[in-house]
Amino acid sequence: MLRSIAKLLCLTTLFALPALGAEAKKLVVWHAYRAEEKAAFEKVVAAFNQQNAAKGLQVESLAVPYDAFADKISAAVPRGKGPDVFIYAQDRLGGWIEAGNTVEPIDFFLDDATKSRFLPTTMEAMVYRGTTYGLPLNYKVLAMIFNKKLVAKPPKTTGELVKVAKGLTDPATGRFGFAYNYGDFYYHSALLNGFGGRVFENGSTPVLNAPENVKSIELLMKWARKDNVLPKEPSVAVITSLFSAGKAAIVFSGPWFLGEIAKDIDWGLAPLPTIDEAGGKPMRPWITVEGVYVAAPSKNKDAAFEFARYLTDVPAAKVLALEGRQSPANKKVYEDPKVAADPVLKVFRQQVEVAVPMPNVPEMSMMWSPATNAMNAITKGSTSPKAALDKAQEALAKDVASLRKK
Amino acid sequence: MTAPALQQPSSQQTPPGAEAPRALPPPPPAPPGAPSHRLRFAVGVLVASLVVTGLSWMLLSRARAGAALALEERKATVATLALADLVVRAGGSGDGVRQALAAWQQQAPAGAQAKVIAFDGLSLEAATDAGLGAPRRLQRDEKPLYDQGQRLRAAVETNREESVVRKEEVEIAAQPDGSLLLAAPVELDGQVRGMVEVRTPRVVVAPSPSSGSAGLALLLPLVAFFALALVLGERRVGLALAATFALALGVGFYAWHSVSVVVEDRRAASEEVADSVRTQAETARELISRLGLPADPPVVASSWDADAFRKPRGWLTAAGQVDAGVLAGRLAQASGDVVRALVAVALLALLLLQAIGLGSVGALGRTLVTHRRAYAYVAPALVGMLVLVFFPFFYGITLSFTDSNLLNTSRPLTELWVGLKNYVDILSDFDLSRTSADGARVANYTNFYWTLGVTVVWTVTNVVIGVSVGLLLALVLNTRGLALRPVYRVLLILPWAMPNYITSLIWRGMFHQQFGVVNHVLALFGGEPVSWFETPFTSFLTALTTNGWLSFPFMMVVSLGALQSIPVELYEAARVDGASRWQQFRAITLPSLKPALVPAVILSVVWTFNQFNVIYLVTAGEPGGSTEILITQSYKFAFEKYRYGYAAAYSTVIFGILLVYGVFQNRVTKATEAV
Repeated sequence: MLRSIAKLLCLTTLFALPALGAEAKKLVVWHAYRAEEKAAFEKVVAAFNQQNAAKGLQVESLAVPYDAFADKISAAVPRGKGPDVFIYAQDRLGGWIEAGNTVEPIDFFLDDATKSRFLPTTMEAMVYRGTTYGLPLNYKVLAMIFNKKLVAKPPKTTGELVKVAKGLTDPATGRFGFAYNYGDFYYHSALLNGFGGRVFENGSTPVLNAPENVKSIELLMKWARKDNVLPKEPSVAVITSLFSAGKAAIVFSGPWFLGEIAKDIDWGLAPLPTIDEAGGKPMRPWITVEGVYVAAPSKNKDAAFEFARYLTDVPAAKVLALEGRQSPANKKVYEDPKVAADPVLKVFRQQVEVAVPMPNVPEMSMMWSPATNAMNAITKGSTSPKAALDKAQEALAKDVASLRKK
Repeated sequence: MTAPALQQPSSQQTPPGAEAPRALPPPPPAPPGAPSHRLRFAVGVLVASLVVTGLSWMLLSRARAGAALALEERKATVATLALADLVVRAGGSGDGVRQALAAWQQQAPAGAQAKVIAFDGLSLEAATDAGLGAPRRLQRDEKPLYDQGQRLRAAVETNREESVVRKEEVEIAAQPDGSLLLAAPVELDGQVRGMVEVRTPRVVVAPSPSSGSAGLALLLPLVAFFALALVLGERRVGLALAATFALALGVGFYAWHSVSVVVEDRRAASEEVADSVRTQAETARELISRLGLPADPPVVASSWDADAFRKPRGWLTAAGQVDAGVLAGRLAQASGDVVRALVAVALLALLLLQAIGLGSVGALGRTLVTHRRAYAYVAPALVGMLVLVFFPFFYGITLSFTDSNLLNTSRPLTELWVGLKNYVDILSDFDLSRTSADGARVANYTNFYWTLGVTVVWTVTNVVIGVSVGLLLALVLNTRGLALRPVYRVLLILPWAMPNYITSLIWRGMFHQQFGVVNHVLALFGGEPVSWFETPFTSFLTALTTNGWLSFPFMMVVSLGALQSIPVELYEAARVDGASRWQQFRAITLPSLKPALVPAVILSVVWTFNQFNVIYLVTAGEPGGSTEILITQSYKFAFEKYRYGYAAAYSTVIFGILLVYGVFQNRVTKATEAV
């Protein structure tokens, strides 16, 4: 008897639930945040839900593992099985747009007031072929991290940098004044763009062997070979362990590096130096921008865009910055006294002023392999920068052309 | 299930020795009371003609419907591009556009609707539907319209930038109500500043092909076969030939009929398009003079008959007449297509006909009935295999004949068909090395044969190392009275028990030039630190070491198991006979190990051939892709270069190699079993 009552109760709730759900609009948002970033993000979502409870609008956030994220989006969203809103870096944007039915263009929703609240570089990263596809949420950019014990004043120019580094380098004991993962083209982008170099021209025509690119690598090789201030065969793991052991005084890296530093190292953060060899122009690293995108097959695009706008507004950005330790793309949030007082956020904010959005064309992913091969050949001294880049350009141009056939 | 039914399989009563060959009893050649050859072939002809007529009737009606839709699309494209042309002349916005649209509507078929969008100020400039209240700002629910315009703008810009025309500049969408919705860009001074949208009236569905000729195509072979069969009697070969002839007769008739229908359709269609182009051109000229729009550049009406990329189709002369030469060429092409499709269908039907006529279908049916229980049990697994194994497999093979890549995944595979091109590209590229800028010969590491060579060397060296180290350790562990043997055994199996990607990453770290433990050890003995990933050879060595480390435990376990099963008496007898240790090893140990080792080696070859993790994680193909093996190379083609079709062909080639190896291996295994 009891059992049948329980069954009956279950059944009634089962029937009652969808009835309730039909009234409320539910948005699903996918993100790849973990730990404190996730906590901060969920706090913002909860605040949004509370504010919109009366309207019957609820957002449900789902953390999807980073490794699987992009592929899941590519597979699920065009078939209408994915979220309403998702958050990801801009590098896959071009591919998703070319594939179609994945990312909703939002120019139509976008008013000038909303547009102008973002750092211009971050907004630029959301634009593909003249159409805006997302609102920038956070950005990640390289900056200079230094060991305060070894470097009293962070160098402002590359000349100072080499001078400071030379005094602190002793390859015999594995000490380096200066270390970064220079073999990785992403890290090299700071020098590359500083010299006015580029990977693509006019949208997506590859120009890996542009003369500026060659010059930037020649400077790098001078540091590595002639000045001997850089470690050989750098990798993220090596750089991290060197810095944490106090064996590297200055490192170029991004916010992800800060959490990896050993507790006993007293570190500081400063913008990347200007390049004497390029006439005092600043280093311009590639910036990756996490955008909030509305999924094209979403049934509640208006609500989804409102949520995206809320996420990128000042109150949300403040939570993400102070509790999630992220760098918001919203520039107004840096006027907040607490955010302004944060030395880390301040430096990244300064750095982003000169940063360049990493290209979001789909051809970008084809660039990495030839570029990495070229960097490896160059840093190991087996090929000249010009010859290696020519070869990489040839390979990349061939790959791009094979993709473009009608 | 009843008990007698369970006992049905007869193999239970047969003696055990006869069991294996009886698994699929051959049907008796001609049981008494079996249908005659004549009857079988008659059924075959009937079924085959039904199949061939049914399929070709379907193909023909689909071709006609497709042609009718294509005609509507062409006419609608002409109307849309003509309107876009007028809008451009009227300046893209303002009253001129509204007047042009009004005039356009007068000559357009009743029920046709159009809208003109200008991007500046998101404005609906003009609309044939007065209820929309143009001009005004676009509303939120009109967002798709604006987005479509932006998409066209991006398409035009992309095509121009890449100088490869691959993005549609005219979008055509069939609506659920049967009308067509077209959108074309409005280009002012080389920049897309707006869009026109045209909705056609309902498209009339194409007439079905006549059933009279289909019926004739069905009857003809039957009659012909009956006549021939009367003469031939019960002769199998004669009947088979007669049936083939009868089928060919039917197919030939229907092919002739289809070709004439298709050609007539096409001819009428091009006349109709030419008509509509001339009408549009007249209206446009009249409008230009009436509204005082700029007449320069002159109206080239034939360019409005364009494809989705706004490239003129070339069927019409500049004056708007059908170009007879082009038309003849296209008609020949169309009839060739029809004939090819029918021949394919006919071959399929012929196969069916002979299968029925010669009795294999009957035999198959009897097997299915006799062993229905077995087939019922296998069915779920069969379905699973079909979905999880065979479908992806055949999809991959299909993909390998296309030029599918990141930018065209949304298009159907038939449009991307390139035949054997990918295979030819892969297999005919003997460009193993080339001269670099400074005159030196450089190996071309992306070449297939280079990679294949690396893969073969990689497989052979790895298996040799795995077997020899594994066997050696097994022999050591097999020493009688060895203390702590279980401990050693566990320790030696550990490398195998660790996830191999962790092992790979650790080894990669150990080979680091400055901080890796390998170079530290070298330095301890006074050696120079080696930059392991700098030359192909040393880089290959790192992967080899890692995989050797990963693969010896398996060989060791297999050998150890086999060693322990060798009777001790054999060795005792050998000792009594005065055999040395080496002789004992050669004459007793190795032959006894063979049955266990050969399958292990075969397995290990397949694993190593496709050992993705180690190469990908340890060398990552460094330097310059020289240590890539086939499977990692194919991954790079698919996920870094996004050439899905090419990568699929690459994988199919790998499959082919392993298939050949598998057949070879089967022979070898049988040979060992015989020993």
